[in-house]
Amino acid sequence: MTQTVERAAVERAGTTSTVARTFVQRDVAVGDARVAIDPRVKLAGVAVANVLMIMHVAPVVQMVAVALLSVPLFVAGKARAAVRMLACYALLCAAQWLVQMHVDALPWLHIVGLTANGVAMMMPCLVAGAAAFTTTRAGDLVCAMRRMHVPDAVVIPVVVIMRFFPTIRRDYRMIRHSMRLRGHAGNGLALLRRPVRSFECIIVPLLMNATTVANDLTLAALTKGLGTCARPTSMRTVRMRASDWAALAVLAALVCVGAAFA
Amino acid sequence: MTQQMTTATRSNRFAVADLITTGVFTAIYFVIVAVAALFCNVVLTVAGNIFLPAIAALLAGPVYMLLAARVRTFGPITVMGVVLGLFLVCSGHFALSLVTSAVFPCLADLIAKAGAYRNTAAMLASYVVFSFGCLGPILPLWMMKDAYVASLERKGKDAAYIDLVFSHVNGAMFGVTIAAVVVCALIGGAFGLRMMTRHFEKAGVLG
Amino acid sequence: MTEERGERVADAAMCALRGCTFEYAGAAVRALRDVDAHVRRGEFVVLAGRSGCGKTTVTRLLNGLAPVHVAGALEGEARTAGLVAGRADIGAYARVVGSVFQNPKTQYFQACSTDELAFACENAGVTGDEIRARIARAARRFGIEDLLDRTIAELSGGQQQRLAVAAATMLDPDVLVLDEPTSNLDADAMRALHDMLAALKRDGVTVVVAEHRLAWCADLVDRYIVLDDGACVGGYDAQTFRALPAQRLRQWGLRALDVGGASAQVRRKIEETRARRMAATGDADGTPVLSVRGLRVGYRARSLFGWKRTPTFAREIPDLDFHAGRIVGLVGRNGAGKSTFARTICGLQRALGGTIAVDGRTATRDELSRAAGMVMQDVHYQLFSDSVRGELMLDGGRARCDAILGDLGLLDNADRHPMSLSGGERQRLAIGTALIANKRFIVLDEPTSGLDHGNMMRVGALLRALADRGVAVIVITHDDELAAQWCDELVEFT
Repeated sequence: MTQTVERAAVERAGTTSTVARTFVQRDVAVGDARVAIDPRVKLAGVAVANVLMIMHVAPVVQMVAVALLSVPLFVAGKARAAVRMLACYALLCAAQWLVQMHVDALPWLHIVGLTANGVAMMMPCLVAGAAAFTTTRAGDLVCAMRRMHVPDAVVIPVVVIMRFFPTIRRDYRMIRHSMRLRGHAGNGLALLRRPVRSFECIIVPLLMNATTVANDLTLAALTKGLGTCARPTSMRTVRMRASDWAALAVLAALVCVGAAFA
Repeated sequence: MTQQMTTATRSNRFAVADLITTGVFTAIYFVIVAVAALFCNVVLTVAGNIFLPAIAALLAGPVYMLLAARVRTFGPITVMGVVLGLFLVCSGHFALSLVTSAVFPCLADLIAKAGAYRNTAAMLASYVVFSFGCLGPILPLWMMKDAYVASLERKGKDAAYIDLVFSHVNGAMFGVTIAAVVVCALIGGAFGLRMMTRHFEKAGVLG
Repeated sequence: MTEERGERVADAAMCALRGCTFEYAGAAVRALRDVDAHVRRGEFVVLAGRSGCGKTTVTRLLNGLAPVHVAGALEGEARTAGLVAGRADIGAYARVVGSVFQNPKTQYFQACSTDELAFACENAGVTGDEIRARIARAARRFGIEDLLDRTIAELSGGQQQRLAVAAATMLDPDVLVLDEPTSNLDADAMRALHDMLAALKRDGVTVVVAEHRLAWCADLVDRYIVLDDGACVGGYDAQTFRALPAQRLRQWGLRALDVGGASAQVRRKIEETRARRMAATGDADGTPVLSVRGLRVGYRARSLFGWKRTPTFAREIPDLDFHAGRIVGLVGRNGAGKSTFARTICGLQRALGGTIAVDGRTATRDELSRAAGMVMQDVHYQLFSDSVRGELMLDGGRARCDAILGDLGLLDNADRHPMSLSGGERQRLAIGTALIANKRFIVLDEPTSGLDHGNMMRVGALLRALADRGVAVIVITHDDELAAQWCDELVEFT
């Protein structure tokens, strides 16, 4: 029964193939203009950054890693964020250098050196993370996860989380507005005057709304057949292109160089 | 045949509904962890990060208790940990975060299950264990000393002094972190349980 | 003979309920009692009736959610396109029934609009190329190209609801079931929804709408099925239904079939208000509780380092006075700045320019927040206590608190948790919190959205009682019937 319906639907859709073709072309054009990097490559970047951190690689390798891992940010048009992170890293390097010049005379500089060194050590991870997190569309991430055979038990919550973040922000704003009108904690600092009460005022409505939304979302998702198909498909096509393979090769090279200079 | 289909749908329904509930609550938990991380970094500086798991534990009690009470079956707590770990790693935190945030929540889930997701003591204990799941992101702090010593040695400087000082500091830091997590998780968990009776049970949202 | 014919009609029916009695798990009363109804292929049917009459339950039987996913006990048989509720898999339902729900904010599953359109197809295993083709086709069919690749959370309620209809029809369902789809919409959005449903009807899709607002889709409807208190009161073809006396519709809790009269009255009141404002010189009515002069509202985006840029949204507000004891309605389309204005006079955001005075004195933001009460559309964000009485005791003594609860008809529920109350009771409680704090003026944001006729009239009477206590009442509303019948003045935002 359902099969016939499906086939009929496909046939009906077939009659509009011209529209389909123009749409697909437009879609591809948009994708090409942005040179999207495969999410899996970005995740590999995160993994490589972690490996470098554990190996305590030489400063040169670290610098190269930070520079390379910030490339996806530039490609995705997040140059501002990338520049900010690079500037931050440059400051950390400068601080380390200054400390090492003067630490023999002023031992307390060790604290600064230790901190700067520690944050710089994490910098490749943070840059790779920023690239993975802010330049990947939710749909692409989900498609990549399905490709990697991540189970539904993880994919579904991830989709819901992405969808729910804006709701939390909106809820928070509404709750703070009504707290202000009720005369509790009109501004941010006043929250700390009665912290427990303030926290209760915020977290309880937030969770109440969360339960309602979870119920409504469940019904909506069920009527759209979530979880009823053994192999759900994806509208987006995540494909490893030549550029992606090249990026992977660069990452692998980075690990080898890092191991050599550890 | 029809009977079979109905049972299939039933189990499937629990899966989908529970996963969505878990997703919604994990989103709130993630925001709480992010707020805690921001607070640690801005107010307590980089070293203050050792208190990240403790502060998250202090705040996330109601989220944890309500999720457990809404679903009352094995899975959601573990999934919440794993998904949080994934988000942390993807956003540039230490990769071992994924391990800690899978192992501890799984243990916590087992403890809560032993108490049928109702027993107060079991829920508190389970929350304390769960809270250790957030240790992952701060583990690199213990690698900082080694990295620093390596950088000093590379410059041909004497690092014996640093090594000596930090052999004590590291141990103390570890102790403080663990103690803070336990204390804060107990306070946060108790607060969460209080919110359960004060609000959620009374409002009838436990399903 | 007639019985036999009845059988045959039911066989040809796309949806058929036979002797359906339904009781929600954990509920004391039956939601449906022995309901017989059918919908023919290609028909456009409205399930009409007051809030709580059981129409939502019928939609849940039709789309397969009840009795399994919305737990409950069903007697009788509910059949949609050959699928029997409680027996068929929800996945099978997903392919033949599209569903649209009441709240546009909680029925989308994906963050991005294009992903939301693809969602049902992905779950049904349609190939990627085919999904993209269908999205293109749906965008053309419904004229929603502008809604593709957007963050759904940033769309207006009307846009979200259009997207929801498009997403529900992505698998080309035989039946589309809508549960009070207009309760959060303004007139423009209702018209857009009407046009989408007209297109679906043309294509032969069977449409079932559960509604108590009747005007927006009256020209599309083939048949009305009226429910009251869980029972089917009657089925009427469109012509017979239109000939029914208006009084009859009111008794069933339905809104007017034709809101032309109310709209005309709204226009007239807007003109009257404008004329009076032009004529008024000095303070003929005494000092206004709230007055705004040369006000500009809007917001600026903050750039990276906290520098303020030019406003991203700004509206000029005409000079207005709000007097104690009067109900002023703010009407106008979405995006005209009504809500921004409301937040500004409540001191929740800074004005871009101009002055706001309370009782004749220019007020700061803090003073405005102290003088203002607000009843939000999502009233559950405003209630913080663990009991109804506790909610009011935050700001006042026991005796006064009980007096106000008595006036609002909440005294019997004084020890319950605010979140366990019904929507209307919560709304009254929020009004109570404003009363006990002696607020000078109260702003209500869409207090009648989703309400049937009886409840709308109750809210109107409540507004009047509020005004009679000497509060200035300001109502933001799209509801022409409320505006025409209960507001003393109407200001249109353009």
